[in-house]
Amino acid sequence: MNNNGYLIHMESVSKDFRRGSETIHALREANLSVHPGEFIAVVGHSGSGKTTLMNIIGCLDRPTSGYVRIADHKIKDLPEKELTQIRKTTIGFVFQQFFLIPTLTVLQNVMLPGLFARQNVEKRARELLGLVGLKNRLSHLPDQLSGGEMQRVAIARSLINNPSILLADEPTGNLDSHNAGNIISMFEQFNRTGLTIVMVTHNPDIATRCSKIVHIEDGCLTA
Amino acid sequence: MNFMTVAWSNLRRNPVRSILTGLSLVVSAATLTVVIGLDKGYSSAVNSELVESTGVHMYITKEGCPIEAASVIAQGGLSPLFVEEELVERVQTHPNVDAVLPFKLFTVTVEDGSRTDIFMGVTPEIQRVRPDWQFASGGWFESEYSVILGAEIAQIEGLEIGDVTYSEEFDREFNVSGILERNYGQDDATIFLPLATAQRLVQREGRLSAIALKLTDISLMDQSRNELRAMIPADSNVLGSRELGDGILQFYSSTRVIMFIMVVIAFVISVFGIVNTMLMAVLERRREIAYLKCVGAGKTDILKLITFETFAICVAGSLLGAFIGLAVSPYFGNFMRSLLVAYVPSGSIAQPSLSIALLAFLSCTLIGVVCSLYPAFRASKIVPMEVLRNE
Ligand SMILES: Nc1ncnc2c1ncn2[C@@H]1O[C@H](COP(=O)(O)OP(=O)(O)O)[C@@H](O)[C@H]1O
Ligand SMILES: [Mg+2]
Repeated sequence: MNNNGYLIHMESVSKDFRRGSETIHALREANLSVHPGEFIAVVGHSGSGKTTLMNIIGCLDRPTSGYVRIADHKIKDLPEKELTQIRKTTIGFVFQQFFLIPTLTVLQNVMLPGLFARQNVEKRARELLGLVGLKNRLSHLPDQLSGGEMQRVAIARSLINNPSILLADEPTGNLDSHNAGNIISMFEQFNRTGLTIVMVTHNPDIATRCSKIVHIEDGCLTA
Repeated sequence: MNFMTVAWSNLRRNPVRSILTGLSLVVSAATLTVVIGLDKGYSSAVNSELVESTGVHMYITKEGCPIEAASVIAQGGLSPLFVEEELVERVQTHPNVDAVLPFKLFTVTVEDGSRTDIFMGVTPEIQRVRPDWQFASGGWFESEYSVILGAEIAQIEGLEIGDVTYSEEFDREFNVSGILERNYGQDDATIFLPLATAQRLVQREGRLSAIALKLTDISLMDQSRNELRAMIPADSNVLGSRELGDGILQFYSSTRVIMFIMVVIAFVISVFGIVNTMLMAVLERRREIAYLKCVGAGKTDILKLITFETFAICVAGSLLGAFIGLAVSPYFGNFMRSLLVAYVPSGSIAQPSLSIALLAFLSCTLIGVVCSLYPAFRASKIVPMEVLRNE
């Protein structure tokens, strides 16, 4: 198996959107290679194509052209079912919004992806909530938590199926700098245990804490 | 944690909406229970009243034998055609046969031709088969040679209860045990005898002119006629009585149509209600559902989740509705009675029962779940990428 040791490998990936008669080039001939254990920051202006890039790495969208490989999977012609499978087993997602179900407890929210993987993940959920410092909040409802705490629940949930890649699209966008710092510390902690992280951020201070910064401008990537 | 837990927690997110959706099913199930109960009650009230007030519903005769007495009388004397007495027991076994009257009919014309007497040998069943066959005085045969007289013949002969009358033809005395109310029909001129006596007088033991039947449920008339025909020898025939026109049966079937239109309307309203609210519930959660797809929920997972949500509402709403329907049925029965103009039976119009409630419950639940399929399908089609869409 020739995968050059990369966990994420993209070669001249383009993504076009059509809006009416206009064609938007959200990604242009992008190349990106990520080794296992890297912590990548993706930095760029609003509308520069960061989310589009994350969508493609996360198997949420297909590129218009180019080559994409995630772990051992060549994404190009895989049917939707297998993409779902890759998302379920290989990738965790954290977003600016937390998407917690307000009527489920903290513990239940973290366990939710286990429902779709048909696995009992309760032990793992308790362990992860301990790691993000919410051991005592298991039976709380989301609206009893602060924003920073909710994002920590979301992080625990994203890791419940033991993914090898964590994709975080502006995870600190809704948080103050103190909470943002906490979240990044947490990411660093998980990164040290071998988790590969690709994170979109606006904040240059946060970006400098990552092992590598990728700039994106008008759909073009520059390392 | 399972799908039901998640579905249930989703319902609690907007309790007012969940309750309103449930209420539309409560209304449907209650309406269905009430209407089926009314329909059943009304049919059976009308049916039992018709059965009460009408006489013979069918005759079993020999093939080709016009049973109406007029033709027998016209022939003068004794029809050569007869029905075997053993058929009585056979037809009695039919579940829709309420009463069976075997009878022997004959006429006697005096030698100078100046008068013809009509004789009919009957069993006590005649009182069940013929509601208009009522005593004005006296009662049932006291002995083998008792007679019961029609109103007119009693008057012509000047006979009263306890009188003894001599018959030249049979060279025998008969005592009068009963006299009938006038009913302006053939009965008024008929002399009734015990069946066995009548058969013996004309040497026709074991033979009948015909058998008259009364049914339990006249709406099953056609079906019963065919079944009876299969039970008797091929040379015998089952004739419908002229008394029962189709008109009255048709009348109440049109009343039923009106009631079922009510049900259909209730259903259409609740179907739109369910589809609409569930669709809203799905569309406002688009991004969350998209997120679930990000974390590995497949199409069927989402379908299942949304269908479970609706299922819970439907079961609860339908169950409650069915019970409410049972409870309020009697009031609607009284209400219906005040609305009916043409034909109001005297029995209870509403006839709610557990099996009706169960039927209403099951059909409402089923409809509710079917209604949820479209919103659930829409939800399952949401693509995970939507989670990241900028609004
Ligand atoms: N689904 C879409 N349809 C049409 N245009 C889109 C779609 N998604 C993104 N775009 C466009 O592609 C460009 C890049 O968007 P995006 O990747 O969301 O930027 P960022 O996340 O860096 O703000 C923008 O111009 C955006 O309007
Ligand atoms: Mg973005």
